[in-house]
Amino acid sequence: MDSPADAIRISGLVKRYGAVTAVENLSLRVRPGTMFGFLGPNGSGKSTTIGCITGLLDPTAGQVEILGQPFDSENAAIKRRIGVMPESLGLFDPLYAHEFLAFVARMFGLDETTTRKRVTELLDALELTDTSKTLADYSTGMRKRVAFAASVIHTPEVLFLDEPFESIDPAGVALMKQWLRRFTEQGRTVFMTSHVLETVERLCEEVAIITRPGKLVWQGDVTVLASDGAIRFDGREFRALEPLFLHLTGERYKDLSWL
Amino acid sequence: MNLELIGNLVRLRYKLLWAKTRTRNGKIALFFSGYLLLVMVLFLLSLGGFSAGVTFVRSGKGTLVAAAVLTGIGLQGLLSTVVLGFGISTIFADTELRRYPIKARERRLVRHLIGILDPFWFLFLALELGLAFGLYLFGAGSFWMGLIAVILFFIANYLAARLLALLVDRLVARKGGSIVLLASVISLGFLPSLLQPVLHKNSPVVVAAAHIFHYTPPYVAAVAMTHFDLSAVSGIAVLLAWLLALAAALVAIERRPPKIRAAQATSVSWNSPFDRLGALFPERYAPLVAHWLRFYFRNNRFRTIYPLALPLAAFLLFFFGKQAGPHSTFPASLSAFLILGCIGTAQFAVNQFGYVSGGFRRFLLLPTDPAAAFRAGSFTFMMLSAVLIPVAALLWCLFAPAPFDARALVMLVGASVFSLFFFHALGLWTSLLAPRRGNYATAFGNDLSFAANVVVIAGMLIMLFAPRLLAKPWPAAVSPAFWWTTPSAAALAAAFYFVSLRTTTTVFRVRREQLLAIVEGRS
Repeated sequence: MDSPADAIRISGLVKRYGAVTAVENLSLRVRPGTMFGFLGPNGSGKSTTIGCITGLLDPTAGQVEILGQPFDSENAAIKRRIGVMPESLGLFDPLYAHEFLAFVARMFGLDETTTRKRVTELLDALELTDTSKTLADYSTGMRKRVAFAASVIHTPEVLFLDEPFESIDPAGVALMKQWLRRFTEQGRTVFMTSHVLETVERLCEEVAIITRPGKLVWQGDVTVLASDGAIRFDGREFRALEPLFLHLTGERYKDLSWL
Repeated sequence: MNLELIGNLVRLRYKLLWAKTRTRNGKIALFFSGYLLLVMVLFLLSLGGFSAGVTFVRSGKGTLVAAAVLTGIGLQGLLSTVVLGFGISTIFADTELRRYPIKARERRLVRHLIGILDPFWFLFLALELGLAFGLYLFGAGSFWMGLIAVILFFIANYLAARLLALLVDRLVARKGGSIVLLASVISLGFLPSLLQPVLHKNSPVVVAAAHIFHYTPPYVAAVAMTHFDLSAVSGIAVLLAWLLALAAALVAIERRPPKIRAAQATSVSWNSPFDRLGALFPERYAPLVAHWLRFYFRNNRFRTIYPLALPLAAFLLFFFGKQAGPHSTFPASLSAFLILGCIGTAQFAVNQFGYVSGGFRRFLLLPTDPAAAFRAGSFTFMMLSAVLIPVAALLWCLFAPAPFDARALVMLVGASVFSLFFFHALGLWTSLLAPRRGNYATAFGNDLSFAANVVVIAGMLIMLFAPRLLAKPWPAAVSPAFWWTTPSAAALAAAFYFVSLRTTTTVFRVRREQLLAIVEGRS
């Protein structure tokens, strides 16, 4: 029996801005139903990669397949099946939260009744019921919740989240984690970036680590860490994601004598 | 006073300006604006000084001529600053400067130093210096007194412009402020024409008004520039008093925090008029058109400019019609209808994504052709400008000074439709090729790129003067006898619009990453 197609397959992805290479020959596969962590230091090309595989940016070279089909920025059919929470959120500041979510829902083809029901439920669940404020007046955390709601309102099959938990309070993070777990239990896929390695360690099943400029240095199963196991690499054992990350990316703690 | 840090912050403004030249578009803009600025400064300096001197020698009314010239320059400074936003730097708001270790007084000084050192104000300074130099050259005034008067008048003009801009900003930020401003602008526009017959009959009122004029900054500056005796000193003293009063008023208003509209809980509305209007379009555009309508109708700048379109066209018709005489109002009507086709949305149509900021990213993630949002935006502006045309046509039929002629109406409506299609087609191109990130929150100011400014300003000037210029050598061409010309031009403009729409869709795909970088402020 054929195994189901990969939720995401990236082959030889390259993204250049003039002479600057942001992503270099990146290839990776993400199985359906996986909570996938995509890690890397600042400026390593995580957001650029997400941009290229969600239709925001056009890759310079390489192929992207989503849900078994070739994907590019013009592929509206696939876009309808994915949800994206971009790093800069992509909100329209003068709108109220319900207006923004209703706009996104309508664009994703939801009918009026479903739109109203889902918007109301999402706003209620994410505690965004203050109708006196436009998105411009929301706090960073609240704006992030709205962007998260917009990414899931059409129940996508693959969800791309760029730094989803940053600036959100613990209760919000707990709720989102709970939703994401249920999301993958249903066979859907989550592809997320985060700098909070403890969260990734606990939440994700598989992790890819890239270094500048967008080079994959490691991809593997991290579920062993949750059961007090260890990841073996380069003849060493890593019992947490942080030392492995620092080892792979060459990031070192640096001291400043005056600080 | 931390003069070193103040100097560093002023220099930083110019470093940021210079940093813009790192891009290709920035280099082109710098070349053109630098070149134009240089030519204009030289031209204004020589022309201003020389002509003022000559006029003085010939008329023997130096003070009055100088006062009239300074009044003109001062009003230009005020209008350009308040209406077009030239010269007001928003690079450093007070809140942004708070991160530096400087006191409130120093922050204010930094902001106003940056403001007054804007190249735009140099033009006015050049013109005023030219005037003083011209007067000195023809022996009409003292060089040093003239120089002092020019510097004081220049600073007073800047302070008055800032004060007025601040008052307008505060007014528009209040509930109903846009309506008050609109009524004020219309009243001011019609005031001279309404006052003229009254003043004509009441000469004592004119004398009293002239007496008050003798204490205004342009007049006292002119007195200082054209006298050698004590009256020059008294002119400087009055000018100094004006300067202090304006500075005190500006500081007092800046110290008062703006009244922010109290947040009010609104009931969640699912079917707004925006959605109903959007529903007039095909299904794939309906939510996008509704979105653009919602987005722009919440914008203070749009809410100020769009309702002014009809009154402005009426004013132009009234003003130019009166100038041209009762038998040649048709060219004025043609100008008014041409302008009506685009003036309400011009500033936004030429820089469609300028105020969207991070929201632009969302358009690219939606499951639709990414250019659909672009096309929907253009349809929205077209619709908003188009609805004004039948209203204007109806008003023209009711109040036209000439007997009704159906051919005239066809020609006028054709002119509006022509400018509607032609200008919005140009808007498609400038939105893609010369976009600029704007500030959604401000009601006034010039957020357009150099190319978009050229399209808007040159377009308006052509529409304003072309019919009148054409009427002189060829009156029949601007009369109802040639009624078929504008509908034909409108058909060609419509073709240009739809070809542009198709072509720019391809251009959008190619340039969308650059657009993203520009509207998000990364380029």
